[in-house]
Amino acid sequence: MGDLFAWLISFFLLIGVLGIILYQLMCLADLEYDYINPYDSASRINKAVLPEFVTQGVFCFLHLITGHWIMLLMCLPYTYYNVKSVEPRVFFRYTQRQHLVDVTEIFNQLPWEKKLRLYKLGYLIILLALSIFW
Amino acid sequence: MATENPNRPNYPLRPAATPFAAPQSTTPFGSMVGSEASAFRPPPPASSQSMTPPFPSGPFVGSEAPPFRPPPPGRSNELVRPPPPPSSSSSYGPPTAGFQRFPTPPLPSTGQVGPPRASLAGQPVIPPPTRPPGGPVSFLSQTQPASIPIGSPPQSIKTGQPNPNFPPPADQPFSAPRPNVQPSSPPMGPSYATARGNFQPAFPGYVNTQANSAAQAPYMQPASFPLQQGGYAPPAPPAPFLAQQRGYASGPPTTASSGLHFGNQMQHYGVGPPVGNSQGLAEDFSSLSLGSVPGSFDTGLDVASLPRPLDGDVEPTSFAEMYPLNCNPSFLRLTTSGLPNSQSLASKWHLPLGAVVCPLAEAPVGEEVPVVNFATTGIVRCRRCRTYVNPYVTFTDNGRKWRCNICSLLNDVQSDYFAHVDASGRRVDLDQRPELTKGSVEFIAPAEYMVRPPMPPLYFFLIDVSISAVKSGMLEVMAQTIKSCLDNLPGYPRTQIGFITYDSTIHFYNMKSSLMQPQMMVVSDLDDIFVPLPDDLLVNLSESRNVVEAFLDSLPLMFQDNMNVESAFGPALKAAFMVMSQLGGKMLIFQNTLPSLGVGRLRLRGDDIKVYGTDKEHTLRVPEDPFYKQMAADFTKYQIAVNVYAFSDKYTDIASLGTLAKYTGGQVYYYPSFQSSIHKDKLRHELARDLTRETAWEAVMRIRCGKGVRFTSYHGNFMLRSTDLLALPAVDCDKAYAAQLSLEETLLTTQTVYFQVALLYTSSSGERRIRVHTAAAPVVAELGEMYRLADTGAIVSLFSRLAIEKTLSYKLEDARNAIQLRIVKALREYRNLFSVQHRLSGRMIYPESLKFLPLYGLALFKSTPLRGGYADAQLDERCAAGYTMMALPVKKLLKLLYPNLVRVDDSLVKTGEFDNITKRLPLTAESLDTRGLYIFDNGFRFVVWFGRLISPDIARNLIGEDFGGDYSKVTLTPRDNEQSRKLMKILNKFRESDPSYFQLCHIVRQGEQPREGFFLLTNLIEDQIGGANGYADWILQLHRQVQQNA
Repeated sequence: MGDLFAWLISFFLLIGVLGIILYQLMCLADLEYDYINPYDSASRINKAVLPEFVTQGVFCFLHLITGHWIMLLMCLPYTYYNVKSVEPRVFFRYTQRQHLVDVTEIFNQLPWEKKLRLYKLGYLIILLALSIFW
Repeated sequence: MATENPNRPNYPLRPAATPFAAPQSTTPFGSMVGSEASAFRPPPPASSQSMTPPFPSGPFVGSEAPPFRPPPPGRSNELVRPPPPPSSSSSYGPPTAGFQRFPTPPLPSTGQVGPPRASLAGQPVIPPPTRPPGGPVSFLSQTQPASIPIGSPPQSIKTGQPNPNFPPPADQPFSAPRPNVQPSSPPMGPSYATARGNFQPAFPGYVNTQANSAAQAPYMQPASFPLQQGGYAPPAPPAPFLAQQRGYASGPPTTASSGLHFGNQMQHYGVGPPVGNSQGLAEDFSSLSLGSVPGSFDTGLDVASLPRPLDGDVEPTSFAEMYPLNCNPSFLRLTTSGLPNSQSLASKWHLPLGAVVCPLAEAPVGEEVPVVNFATTGIVRCRRCRTYVNPYVTFTDNGRKWRCNICSLLNDVQSDYFAHVDASGRRVDLDQRPELTKGSVEFIAPAEYMVRPPMPPLYFFLIDVSISAVKSGMLEVMAQTIKSCLDNLPGYPRTQIGFITYDSTIHFYNMKSSLMQPQMMVVSDLDDIFVPLPDDLLVNLSESRNVVEAFLDSLPLMFQDNMNVESAFGPALKAAFMVMSQLGGKMLIFQNTLPSLGVGRLRLRGDDIKVYGTDKEHTLRVPEDPFYKQMAADFTKYQIAVNVYAFSDKYTDIASLGTLAKYTGGQVYYYPSFQSSIHKDKLRHELARDLTRETAWEAVMRIRCGKGVRFTSYHGNFMLRSTDLLALPAVDCDKAYAAQLSLEETLLTTQTVYFQVALLYTSSSGERRIRVHTAAAPVVAELGEMYRLADTGAIVSLFSRLAIEKTLSYKLEDARNAIQLRIVKALREYRNLFSVQHRLSGRMIYPESLKFLPLYGLALFKSTPLRGGYADAQLDERCAAGYTMMALPVKKLLKLLYPNLVRVDDSLVKTGEFDNITKRLPLTAESLDTRGLYIFDNGFRFVVWFGRLISPDIARNLIGEDFGGDYSKVTLTPRDNEQSRKLMKILNKFRESDPSYFQLCHIVRQGEQPREGFFLLTNLIEDQIGGANGYADWILQLHRQVQQNA
C-alpha cells in the first residue's frame, strides 16, 4: 500500500515537472513568434524555474527514502545539472543566476534555452515511461 | 523603370544605368547558364572583328587609353562561359596592337633599371618609387586585380628557362594581349564575353612589371611589350606569331626578376580553350608574392608594398552606381553586395554575411533625407509584409496597383495616391514623389504609430559628488558645460531636465519654476528608496531656467568640502528610474568611484591576477551583479537611454556600469584619471555633443528583407524587443548597428534581394517620424562574385563586434583565433577558386575588394578590447573601448583601427597653406623620422610625436622654452608664433573632420618611455609589439595557414 502511495506521489511529481518544463517551452515559443515581449516571457520562465527544481528535488528525495535505487540513479544526473547551475561559484556571484534566463540576452540564448528544455523534456518522458511500465 | 529587358533576364528590376554599369550587371550576376551566356556572345567571327580595330592601330595608342575604363564587365562572364573556340586564339595576335594602349606610364621604364637588378639578386624588389600616375587610379576604380610587387624568390631564376613551351613564362606575355581587347568599345557589353576579358593586368603589379621589363629591355625589346610597358608603344608586329615569340622571349627575365605572377598573367598561350577561362578568372584576384624558399632567411615579402588603407575607408562605389536608387552607403552597408543564391554557396562564404546600419548617419551634403508627409493617405505600406513604399516598387494595372518589391504582393493603390503610369511604367508624378525616387526618406507618422503622445526630449543627470568627483574638478567642468548647453538642448520649449546627486545618500532637487533656488532633499534610506516629491524633480527647462542655472552655478560650491568617499550608485539609479519612468529620456551618469553602497554595489575584482588566462577570465568582462542587466532591461522598457561617463583613476568596473549603456542604446565615455586641467576640453566637447546633437527618442528599428533571407542576429548597443525589432530609447548619428543574415531557403529564386531599414522615432521637435532606407542587392551564383562585391569596412565592423562579444564568454585569445580562422578560411576558399587553373605557389591571393582585410584583422587584434593578455590594457579601458566599438559607425571604426599618421614639420616650416599634410603614412616605426614632427590621429586622441633631432626652433615655437623638459606636463597651447598657429590650425582641421569625439592632444618625445610606448608605439600596428605579429609576419602566417589543408 505504502509502495503504491509512494509511486503515485512520484508519478504526480514527475507529471508536475513535465508540466513546468512544457510551460517554459511554451513561453519561449511565444517569445519566438512574438506573442509576448521578452520582459514577460523572461519573468514567467524565471518564476517557474525554482518550482521545477524543487519538485524535481522532492521527486529524487522520494526515491531515496523509499529505496528505489535504480530510479534514483536515473534522476540523479538531472538533479546534478540543476544543482550545479544554482550553486554559487567560488569567485563570481553572477553565476548564481545561471539557472535563470537573462532578459537582455534572451533572444541570443533562445535556441540554447529551447534545446536545453527539450532535452529535459525528453529525459523526463523516458523517466515517466520507466516509472509506469516497470 | 523596371520593365523587364529580355536581354537581361538576370536583372529584372535594375534601373537602367550608365553604360558602364549595364554590361557589368549583365555579366556578373546573371545566373549564367552556358546557353544563356552564349546568347550574349557574338559568334567567334564577331569577336575577332571586335578585336581587329585595335589591331592596325599602332599609332593611335594614346588616344585610346580612356576606353580602358569600362572593361571589368566582361570578367565574371568568363567564369562560366564555355571555352571559346580555338579558332579565336588566333585573335590573340591583335592584342599586341593593344599594347600601345598602355602608354600611360611612360616614366619608369628606363629609370628603373636599378630595382630589377636588385631583384635579380634575389632580394626584395624595392618598390618603384613612382607609380605610374594614370594607371593605378583608373584601374583600381574598376576593381581590377591588383597584385603587389614583391621580392623574388631566387628559385625562380632557375625555373625561368628560355623555353617557349614552358608554361609559366609563356603565361606572362599574355597579360599583354589582354589589354588590347579593351579598346573594343565599352558599350559593346555582350561582346565582351567574346573579347575574353583579355583586359587589364594587375595594377599595382603593373609597376613591378615595368621594373621587369626595364631589365629586359636592353636585350629583348619585344618582351617588354607583353608586360605592358608603358613607354614602348610601337612595335606590334603581326599578330599570332609575335605573341608567341614574345611569350618565349620574355619568360626568363620576368620570372627571374620577380617571382611574382600576376593573377592575370596566368594563361597558357596556345592552349585554346582554357585560355578564356583562366583569363576570366585571373582578372579577379590580386596577389602578394611570398616566394620564400623554405628555410631561407629572406621572407621575400616586401613590406613597403603591402596594401594599406592610406586613403581611409573607401566605400565600394560600383555597387552604388549599379543601383542609383539605393540609400547612401553611410546608412547601410552590406558585407557583400552579392548575396549568395544558395545555402551551399553561403556556407562557403566564411566571412560574415550581413549589414551595418547607421540609420541617422549625417547625410552627405546635398543628399539630405527628404521628409514626406502622407497627411491624407496614410503611409503607403504593403498589406502583407508592411514594407514602406520605396523606389523599387512597381506600378501595374495602369497605376491602380503596386507590387511590393519585398514580398511581391500586389497591393491596391489608394485613390488619393493614384497617378497614371506612362508607357515606360513610370508614374507621371514621379518627380514630386521623393519616396519613389530616393533610397532614404522620412515619413511623418500619423497617430497610429504612437502608443502615447510623443515624449519631450528629456535629460536627466545622475551625478556622483563624492570626494574624488570634487577633487578631480569633474563636477565643475560638468556643471559649466551643462549650463553652456542649456540654450542648445534640442526640442525647445518642451525640453525637460532633472538632477540627482549622490554620495552615501541621495539628493533630490526641487526645481519648481516658482522657486528662486533649488530645494535639496536628502534621502538616506538606501534599502527602501522613495521619491520625496511626486513632481517638480523633472521640470520644463524653459519654465525653470533660472532655477536650473542657479543649481548648476552652486553645484560645485555645494560639495566642495564633501569628504564622503562612498557611492550609493545603485539606489540612486533606482531613484532616477522612478523619476524618469513616466516619460523616458536620456540619463547621463557621472560616476567617479566604484559603487560601494546599497543594491548594485560592486567590488574590486580586476586585481585577481590568478584569474587571467584561465577559463574564468571572461567573467571580468561581464557585469558582476545581475542588478545592472535587470536595470538596463527596465530602462529600455521605459524608453530611458543611459550614457555613462566614468572618470576614476582606479577600477570602477566599467564592465558592469557599461551594461546600462549597452542595453539602452547608450554610450560609455571613459576618462581614466580625469584631471580637469588636462581633460577639461575633452569632457566639455563630448558632453556638449552628447547634449546637443540631434537625437531620435523612443525609437524602434526593424530591417526587412526579401523572401528567403532573414536577419538572424544583431550586434550593437540596443535591446531586442522581439526577434527582429531593436528597441532604441535614444539614437543619434554616432551609433551604428550590425546584423547578420542567413538564407532561409536552400535556393533563392529571385535575382535581387531588397533591404529596408525602418526607424520609427520621436524627433526632438515632438513629431513621430519613420526614417526608411531602402537598398537592393543582386543575388549571385558565383563565389567569386561575392568576393568581388565584398565590402571590407562592413566586414571588419561585423568582425569586431563578433570578436568583442566573444570576449564576453571566452578568452581574448579564443576571440582572436576565431576571427583569424575565419579570415584564413575565407582566403583559402578564395584560393581554391583559382588553384586549379593557376600556379599559385609562393603567392598569397586575395580579392581586390578585400585587400585590406588582413591588415584590419591585425589591427583589430591589436585594438584595446582584444589586445594581448591581461597586462596589455587596463581592464576598464578594455571594457570601455569594447562598448565604444560596439556602437561605432564603419568609417570611425576603421580610423580607430588604422589611425592616421601624418608628418607635419615640413608644412609648419613652409609658408603658405598646408594642403599636403593629408598624406598618410604607414603605421610603422620606420615611418618616423627623428627629425620630424608627426601627428597620430585615431579619432579619439591625437599624439604629437617630436623626433629626437627635431629642430629646436620648431620645438621652442610649439611648446615654449622648456621644450627639453618633461613632456608629460606640457600641453600644447596656442602660442604667438606662426608655427604654433599653424599646428593649431591643422589640429583643428582634423578635429572638425571628426566631431563625434574630442581628440585630446598628447605630446610625446622620441625615446621618452614609457609614454612614447603607451601613446604611440603600441598603436603602430604594423610593428611587432610584445608577442603580437608585425604586418609582414602576419601576412606570412596567414599565408601558411591558408596553404595548410588547402
